[in-house]
Amino acid sequence: MTVETTPSREPQDAHKPVRSGDAHLRIVGAAGLDRILRPLHRWVWSDARRRGEKLLKFAQTEADGGRDIARAAERTHDALLRRLYLRHALDEQRHANLFRTRGRAILREVGQKREDGDATFDGNFFSPGERGLDDLQVDEESEGSLLAFLHLSEKAAARRFAVYQEVLEVDPVTRDVFVDVLKDEAFHMNYTLSQLKRVEPKKAGWRLWWARLTRLWKGYLRIASAIANVMGGIVLAVQYFVILPIFALMAKRSAKKELPGWAPARDGGERSLRSQY
Amino acid sequence: MKILGLSAHYHDSAAALVIDGVPVAVVQEERLSRKKNDAAFPLKAIEWCLEQAKLEPEELDAVVFYEKPMLKFERILTSALRAFPKSWSSFPKAMKNSLGEKLWVKGIISSHLGIPGSKIFFTEHHQAHAAAAFLTQPAKRAAILTADGVGEWATLSVGVGEKMDDGRVAIKLLRELHFPHSLGMLYSTFTAFLGFEVNEGEYKVMGLASYGKPEYVDQVRQVISPEKNGAFSLHLDFFDFHTTAKRSYSEKFVQLFGKPRAPHEPLDPTTPEGARYANVAASVQRVLEDTLVEITKSLHEETGESVLCFGGGVALNGVANGRILRESGFSEMYVPCSPGDAGCALGAALYADRIFFKNPHVDFPDHPYWGPSVDPEELAAVASEDGLPIETVASDDALLDRTVDLLASDKIVGWMDGPCELGPRALGNRSILAAPHTVAMKDRLNKEIKYREEFRPFAPAVPIEVAGEYFELPPGGARLGAFMSGVFPVKPEWRDKLAAITHVDGTARVQTVERDKAPKFYALLEKYGKKTGIPILLNTSFNLAGEPIVTRAVEGYSTLRRCGIDVVIAGRYIVSKKPSHAVMPTDGGTS
Repeated sequence: MTVETTPSREPQDAHKPVRSGDAHLRIVGAAGLDRILRPLHRWVWSDARRRGEKLLKFAQTEADGGRDIARAAERTHDALLRRLYLRHALDEQRHANLFRTRGRAILREVGQKREDGDATFDGNFFSPGERGLDDLQVDEESEGSLLAFLHLSEKAAARRFAVYQEVLEVDPVTRDVFVDVLKDEAFHMNYTLSQLKRVEPKKAGWRLWWARLTRLWKGYLRIASAIANVMGGIVLAVQYFVILPIFALMAKRSAKKELPGWAPARDGGERSLRSQY
Repeated sequence: MKILGLSAHYHDSAAALVIDGVPVAVVQEERLSRKKNDAAFPLKAIEWCLEQAKLEPEELDAVVFYEKPMLKFERILTSALRAFPKSWSSFPKAMKNSLGEKLWVKGIISSHLGIPGSKIFFTEHHQAHAAAAFLTQPAKRAAILTADGVGEWATLSVGVGEKMDDGRVAIKLLRELHFPHSLGMLYSTFTAFLGFEVNEGEYKVMGLASYGKPEYVDQVRQVISPEKNGAFSLHLDFFDFHTTAKRSYSEKFVQLFGKPRAPHEPLDPTTPEGARYANVAASVQRVLEDTLVEITKSLHEETGESVLCFGGGVALNGVANGRILRESGFSEMYVPCSPGDAGCALGAALYADRIFFKNPHVDFPDHPYWGPSVDPEELAAVASEDGLPIETVASDDALLDRTVDLLASDKIVGWMDGPCELGPRALGNRSILAAPHTVAMKDRLNKEIKYREEFRPFAPAVPIEVAGEYFELPPGGARLGAFMSGVFPVKPEWRDKLAAITHVDGTARVQTVERDKAPKFYALLEKYGKKTGIPILLNTSFNLAGEPIVTRAVEGYSTLRRCGIDVVIAGRYIVSKKPSHAVMPTDGGTS
């Protein structure tokens, strides 16, 4: 039996530190649009129940994001990237726990779940979580495009979280959670950029622009499909009330004729495998 | 004959390749896509299956889908019409959902695989379940029971199967219960009521039930009534699952059982509110068991068969299976390794092979190891790159000795060996293994690795020959335990020494291990027994909460780095964690 060990190289060696003082807050200062929308964000976060529920959703998003990053770690053939991704995945897992713990605490304080008909507006379009409205397909991305995507995504999240912690004067404990998370976001933002420059030094800028365009395109698709979804829903709802009542009446009458209990199993014969009915 | 079976679009999609009557590759899409319960069309699974046999899609003789899409659509549309006008909000969603990919399966298969429509076939959902249950086990004749949420219309069916001496096979489904009267939907409704995720949290309800008393049985019996010959019907005014996708239980249900649990709410069965939830869980579990026992008793009397094959998602309820075996009159019971929808891919392929194409039955080993194999070199490579300590042992025997030493010193081991299992349970090829002796080990696993509720039990693995020494197994129980399909009492004298796997009610979901099906795992148990005096290991699936069971070595490595597992083993490599790799603190990540 042999024992082989090799010295460790930790991911911290691979990036510039960004954790001194409040440097991370300066680095990730809120973006213009989010600054303009600050009153709206303040309103979204002002309601305690909504705050609790949003934090639970953030926890889910962070946990899902952690799994995506872990998947990226499993796919890469670059040892340094793997170590960084694994650390990133652990950070996301920790964030999920922070958000979940705080969200549960808030909801415990304000009482339990409301009735279904009493839903508060959650404002997720205005204040999404870490991955926000982005959709990450790890298996379909190249190393460079994944890093570019992650960089932009982390940057957007960091800026957004910076705004959230600014508008959370009413809840210092939740604000501290965002401050804590924000430190990691700054690290994520920086390492993804530095690694993109290392992995694809000549294409890094192009990758970032392509990722920005892809985000825009995905945003357009999302909005377009949301509109199509609403329109489709309206058309189907109209059909439901205009065309279906007579069929509904017939269906209800036939349901009344059905006896409770066993029904004979269908016997379509051996040919039945060709049929979709 | 080369037949590809497919299941997809609802939960747990999978592909199964059967050549000349024998499965050669079966895998769930989630194991390759790494998305838990991935319901997408299983392109990765198909690709992997075809690769194993070095086949091109056009060389397939048939592709068989596990249900009939148009019949299913008829049920969805009819249910919406019957619920008019309450279904107004769910109708657009249901139509958009169905009119997308789900209704055009034939075209999707044809376009993805480039094969003509004449090669594409459709079994009924419960036919596929029945075939997966009957054709993968060794008995020549058996009664068949299938039960799940819903297929097309059927939610439960009973029948008989026979493998004749001349090779012909008959599967005759005698009768069925139709949607919305469904045991699976009943249990899922309580799963949602108790704040767990439907199609995922049913295990939790079963685990929680052991902490409660069935004080709500009378109330549960108000929502489900017995009918003739063991049948039942649900009282639909207590349910909403048939009218809306928003909520599965109605206000009347809430009036009967009290306030539902919010998913984020902590669940502690020692508090009054937690005890109420546990009592509700115990009550629905009791009624489910009673109903299944009635159905199977009736089926036993009617068919006179001694063997029962049980398929469908409800067959994952090991506590109910234990009672069926003890009380129904059947002397043997077989539940396949994947009784849910993933197993239907294999069931559909076998059904088409034996029944439609009339190929003679061919026996094949009833093990669960049909998936991708692990590559130990991959583990060694990534661990070496990251500077983790790697031990390389000279032989399998030395590996087993070293693993036993680690386990006996309370290390938690990620164990990867050979092809991965089909189905939701890790059965010794993708398992997290640990010593089964202390409550502290159970707590450590829950807090540092599985990140899950404390009330959920862990399972033991034991060589089949000695299982009866430690567990109270009814006749046929050892066989039922092959795929962890039955829950049985731990013998009282062993409960203190098997505290990590003994549930609060003194039971355990036993895996009985056979030497010829899992030789390395069996040898590990034997060696552990020689060292500690008890040849039993705690065996839980090798994954983290929200992730599918690991497939490749690098996924095992990634899991090692993200939780409190001490070592990962694949081939002859043992990779340990460095002390600096911290374990995540957690308050329990799942609802």
